[in-house]
Amino acid sequence: MEGEELSRRLVGKFPAVVVEPFRETAGRVRFPPEILLDLFREMRDGLGFDHLGQVGAIDWVEEREVFYTLWSDREKQYVFLSTRVPASAPHLESLTPVFSSANWHEREAWELVGIEFDHHPDLRPLLTPTGYEFHPLLRSFQLHEPEGLEVKVRDV
Amino acid sequence: MSEMWINMGPQHPMTHGLWNLRVKIDGEIVLDVDPEMGYLHRGIEKISEDRHYNEIITLMDRTCYVAGIAWEHLFILAAEQALHVEPPERALWIRMLSEEFQRVASHLMWYAAFVQDIGLMSPFLYGMRDRDLVLDLFQSYTGGRLTYEYMRVGGVRNDLPPGFAEQARKVCDWLLDRFVEYDRLCSGSDIFHRRCDDLGVVKAQDCIRLGITGPMLRSAGVPRDLRKDRPYAAYDRVDFDVATAETADVTGRYVVRMEELRQSVRIIRQALDWLDKNPGPVMADNVPRWMGAPYAPVGREGYLLKREYPKGVGFSAIEEPHGEALAYVVNEGGEHPYRVKLKSPVFVNLSAARHYLVGYRVADIPPIMGSVDICVGEVDR
Repeated sequence: MEGEELSRRLVGKFPAVVVEPFRETAGRVRFPPEILLDLFREMRDGLGFDHLGQVGAIDWVEEREVFYTLWSDREKQYVFLSTRVPASAPHLESLTPVFSSANWHEREAWELVGIEFDHHPDLRPLLTPTGYEFHPLLRSFQLHEPEGLEVKVRDV
Repeated sequence: MSEMWINMGPQHPMTHGLWNLRVKIDGEIVLDVDPEMGYLHRGIEKISEDRHYNEIITLMDRTCYVAGIAWEHLFILAAEQALHVEPPERALWIRMLSEEFQRVASHLMWYAAFVQDIGLMSPFLYGMRDRDLVLDLFQSYTGGRLTYEYMRVGGVRNDLPPGFAEQARKVCDWLLDRFVEYDRLCSGSDIFHRRCDDLGVVKAQDCIRLGITGPMLRSAGVPRDLRKDRPYAAYDRVDFDVATAETADVTGRYVVRMEELRQSVRIIRQALDWLDKNPGPVMADNVPRWMGAPYAPVGREGYLLKREYPKGVGFSAIEEPHGEALAYVVNEGGEHPYRVKLKSPVFVNLSAARHYLVGYRVADIPPIMGSVDICVGEVDR
């Protein structure tokens, strides 16, 4: 499936999505968070992208981006989808009703980047210890330099 | 009998790494399971945000400690896209050769651990012995046996040493003979089949629903292999078959991995032939020399040099020994990546544990989990 076809088939149903070419995939789909479940149902049932590869998140300080990768065995292609939520209210609907395999991915994105997945069946920490109150992959979580070792950086 | 929760792990012969499987049992029957991960969480993705690209290669080796070079390959493919670098052709073939050797080493390690789980001691020693031959080859051209730091943005660190091809061909011949022996020991044995048949069944449509990839998916009859479906490196220029099985059980996964070992040797032989005929550079010209150097960039006065790269994103997918691995690298122009996201196939295969363990007996858990081939390093990262 080429990018134009993906765009034609998606934009008709979801006028708010933007499809752009992306790294040897069918394309990168940017979508508003409200249509998440409907869009993924269409991707799975209508377009055949039925294998969820990953769910991840990036902290852009003011906003947080959540990205998804789907694979279609029929098309032999990936599609990359992403949406953004404000950092002040990082809420997003859980994808588990459509792709049950999103469960652990969303637990990880929640504990590491602090995305609150609404209606997730089991939002517990996965990798960090119980009671750990930080979201370590936020930009505000600084790795400190080892004591006594000063690394000087110079422009060249 | 009353129901209860028991812990299998974090120190348990079944776990092969540090993780805990909580199991709810009624007598011998498994009613529910809940894997507890995180014992090996080192924050590799976070540390990567604070490291130079060369330094991240070191971290990638530690991501999966039995398939280090496959993870280097995954990261390098994404980093090259993000940094707009094109490697020379010979480097692609050496990377493919390395990845296949790594697949052989990883599958032999799996074989050794798996047969020990089901109570066979001698095949364990045979598997480890033959894996050592592959590690010797790795040592001869990367210097490392487990963690290699061999691949670089723009190519690989050094070319293969003289005499490597002959040695590698000898190992290939030896391995092919031994694989016949393995088959006679295991899949030709009635005891093996009684222990493993119809255990941990995950049918094809369930695999896809649960996101399972790799040998587990192929054992359900789905011929999905990224080396064929979405070729990277030089995989579109070698002949090999995708191994599949129909039974979708523990035996099926064994059959798939055994066939993959033979196919890997087939790819290695073709790669060795090509490399013999096509000498050339192994690093791209437009990469600064220090990027190919074995150590981090250090200037005249011992200061680290500050570099700026053009912005870019990279997305790569490879067929790692355990399944589909994905990397997403965002470069915002600094000298460190802004974000590195790694997706491990074992992470997903393990998240479906409830599906393939519930209903079986406690004694079935070690062979089933053994057949999943767990590497905790890449789950926890």
